[in-house]
Amino acid sequence: MSELLHQRDKKLSQQETRQFLTFTIGEEHFGMELHQTREILEYDGVTQVPLMPQFLSGVINLRGEVVPVIDLSVRLERKPIILHKRTCIIIVELHESSQHCVLGLLADSVNEVIEIPEQDIEDAPAFGAKIRPEFILGIAKKAETFIILLDAEKTLSPKELAHLVEAELK
Amino acid sequence: MSLDAALETFYAEAKEHLESMEHILLQLDEGEYNDETLNDIFRSAHTIKGSAGIFALEHIVEFTHVIENVLDRARENEITIETKLVNLLFQCRDHIQALVKTSSEEFNDNISLQESGANLLTQLSPWINEQEPSSTQNEAEEKLPAINQENLTQQKCWHISLRLSSDCLKNGMDPISFITFLSGLGEIKHIETITDNFPSINNYDAETLYFAYEISLSTDADLATIENTFMFVQDDSDITILSPEATVDDYLALIDALPEDNQRLRDVFIKCGSLTEQTLAQAHKNKEEIEALNSKSQRDEVPPQPKALLETLKNSDLQQQKSTNERKSNKQIRIDSDRLDNLINLIGELVINQQRIDLLASTSKNPDLLEAVDDFEGFTEQIRDAALKLRMVQIGGIFQRFKRVVRDTAQELNKEIELHIEGAETELDRLMVEKLGDPLTHIIRNAMDHGLEPVEQRVSVGKQSTGQLKLAAYHEAGHVVIAISDDGKGIDIEVIRRKAIEKNIISAEMKLTDNELFHLIFHPGFSTASTVTNLSGRGVGMDVVKRNVESLQGSIEINSTLGKGSEFKIRLPLTLAIIDGFHVQSQDTHFIIPQTTITECIDLTSHQHIEGRHCIDLRGEMIPFLNISEIFMLNGQPNQKMPNKKSIPREELVIVQFGNDIAGIAVDRLYGEIQTVVKPLGPIFNSLKGIGGSTLLGNGDIAFILDIPQLIEMAINRDLSHRHLAN
Repeated sequence: MSELLHQRDKKLSQQETRQFLTFTIGEEHFGMELHQTREILEYDGVTQVPLMPQFLSGVINLRGEVVPVIDLSVRLERKPIILHKRTCIIIVELHESSQHCVLGLLADSVNEVIEIPEQDIEDAPAFGAKIRPEFILGIAKKAETFIILLDAEKTLSPKELAHLVEAELK
Repeated sequence: MSLDAALETFYAEAKEHLESMEHILLQLDEGEYNDETLNDIFRSAHTIKGSAGIFALEHIVEFTHVIENVLDRARENEITIETKLVNLLFQCRDHIQALVKTSSEEFNDNISLQESGANLLTQLSPWINEQEPSSTQNEAEEKLPAINQENLTQQKCWHISLRLSSDCLKNGMDPISFITFLSGLGEIKHIETITDNFPSINNYDAETLYFAYEISLSTDADLATIENTFMFVQDDSDITILSPEATVDDYLALIDALPEDNQRLRDVFIKCGSLTEQTLAQAHKNKEEIEALNSKSQRDEVPPQPKALLETLKNSDLQQQKSTNERKSNKQIRIDSDRLDNLINLIGELVINQQRIDLLASTSKNPDLLEAVDDFEGFTEQIRDAALKLRMVQIGGIFQRFKRVVRDTAQELNKEIELHIEGAETELDRLMVEKLGDPLTHIIRNAMDHGLEPVEQRVSVGKQSTGQLKLAAYHEAGHVVIAISDDGKGIDIEVIRRKAIEKNIISAEMKLTDNELFHLIFHPGFSTASTVTNLSGRGVGMDVVKRNVESLQGSIEINSTLGKGSEFKIRLPLTLAIIDGFHVQSQDTHFIIPQTTITECIDLTSHQHIEGRHCIDLRGEMIPFLNISEIFMLNGQPNQKMPNKKSIPREELVIVQFGNDIAGIAVDRLYGEIQTVVKPLGPIFNSLKGIGGSTLLGNGDIAFILDIPQLIEMAINRDLSHRHLAN
């Protein structure tokens, strides 16, 4: 009986899928959980904030709201993103400890929304991804390309970003 | 309004009454009171008890009832106000506060609270009326329906005509609770329920109240007390209370005013015992006579006013003036602060949009449009100011709180301290007032603990034995200043210097001005107290105070003379939401300088620039200045990079003043005045100094609002480190 239940549970969990918005930065493909993303904007310049570290590109006016824009490429310890015609800003909404936080992310291009079954999400490799392991939710494979699924809460934690800004200002 | 919402109102009102009780107790403590003061405190206690009764919060009712009795005796001059009693009443007030915060269920489990309550009551016993040792029992006896026909005519009988709102039940108010409460005030002689409005069963809604009540009440309570019963419903209900002295005419006037059929109401009133057949008939006769008289002498026609009704009205007018605290709720509307904030935000958007339209209109060059836009701007400004006013509250509320703090702390420290309050009516943004509590408490406690000396010490240096502590608020150049001053021993600069060197905050060689040394006490981990008390001196605090004040875009200034006393001045902007600013540009970045800090704008090149130093000579005065593009390291866009830094034109200098500091801010371009809606940059930018927030310009671009005090500090620090290097 318990085995039957176990099988049923397994079947159920297999059916569960998660939706990710995929985008590229440089040659790499990334994914972020769809429910955390709000909209995608065309890049139309940002207002630079004085004295900010490189990962903080600036701020934009999002319908009356002043929203910081992050260069994810720098945040993930890569070279700064090179701006071009197709550069866009992904607006991300985080709810860290009841504190509502809206951020923009620079991306070279936004690809599509994909559905990935839970069991197809693989754990992050301990090394080799060149990304801090805690930033990675998992790795998915689609049409022979690897997609790094990012943990937005960790990658974009306002607390940590604030610490980085503080460190830069000192 | 649901029951929860009604309860919220109860808590809010109870809080207010407790505050007013505290306020009055402080007056009693100082011996500054009269009959009215005693009446007020009695009423506060009574209202808390009454409202608690409506919500069946028995634990509050029981305790408060005793306090009410004691206060009643005090106002009847049966007992005298003495320090012992006042001290006890302070504790009782605190106990009521604790009770209000505790639900009935929690109370039943909370043995210590029950014990402390019982303990207080035992201590109070010398002042409790002996005739009423178990008051609740007495009341229960009163409740017994003992209708005595003889008494009926002799006793004072109030007539209460209740037309509660039909939504009453939906609002969580059961008419029964009012009637129960009334029966606690005295004896209900008769209740007549009027069911005229009861609909057919098809239209019946179980949550709607269809009944009206006519109540005859025999009580010694006064009008205000009876009125208070209906405090929660009086806004949307028709409640008429006729005093026992009311004449037949008053009743007739009431009958006319009520929606129900007059004949039927007469019957009801007769049933209540409020009217009798004879009196009615008599009244009719009188009326006819008066009408006949009136028709005869039409010239000086004064319609006969119902006397008692008029009296009750007059009475209630008087009450209104007397107990402003209690009446406040009539004239004020309570609103959820979120709704207010939302309104302010929307008005902020309106201001931004208005600026956009302004910009578009000025490019169109259509005179009619420009005129319309001009009007629009005027109104927007008025709406903005009116809306911001909604959020302004008097600072006195928070100042009052410190009377108690000072009293208790002085007792604890065994010092004699007198608190003076000035400018309590100064208004400040509600958000700021809320955040000011902690920093003020800390500064005040510090002043009492470290500043003011014990009595013997004061006397030995020839000061009056009572330490003087002053809390003042006033306006100064678009800011609100809160000054906390004492006539204590002052701050010893040498002690600070020693301590700072000891703690490696400064080096021994560093030359600092007195002001800079004073400011070291805001350094994290700095504490000058040699002994740590539970009040202050834990070394955490002053840095938190500074941070709190800075988070409100404010600054702190310290003045102190050794042996004479110290003064802390907190300078705050009037509001955080919308400010008048001056739009400037440096490189490609737009900045806003708060208008209130600007004294003038000058052309930098025309003034003597003192070579090698960031100073200019302004009418013979040396003024330090800083360049925005330098301090923020603005390099312009990469494609516009200047080959030589010196070729950047530094033409305009804005002279700003904050407190005693004057400085110049060099910018590239001046645009002009602009209304700015402050948009906080968010937690990520918390550590960014010199920029207080951002705002949107008419064209949608983002500009940064300069934080002048922080910029001046940055300039001073930079100057310091320069000096350091030079040394």
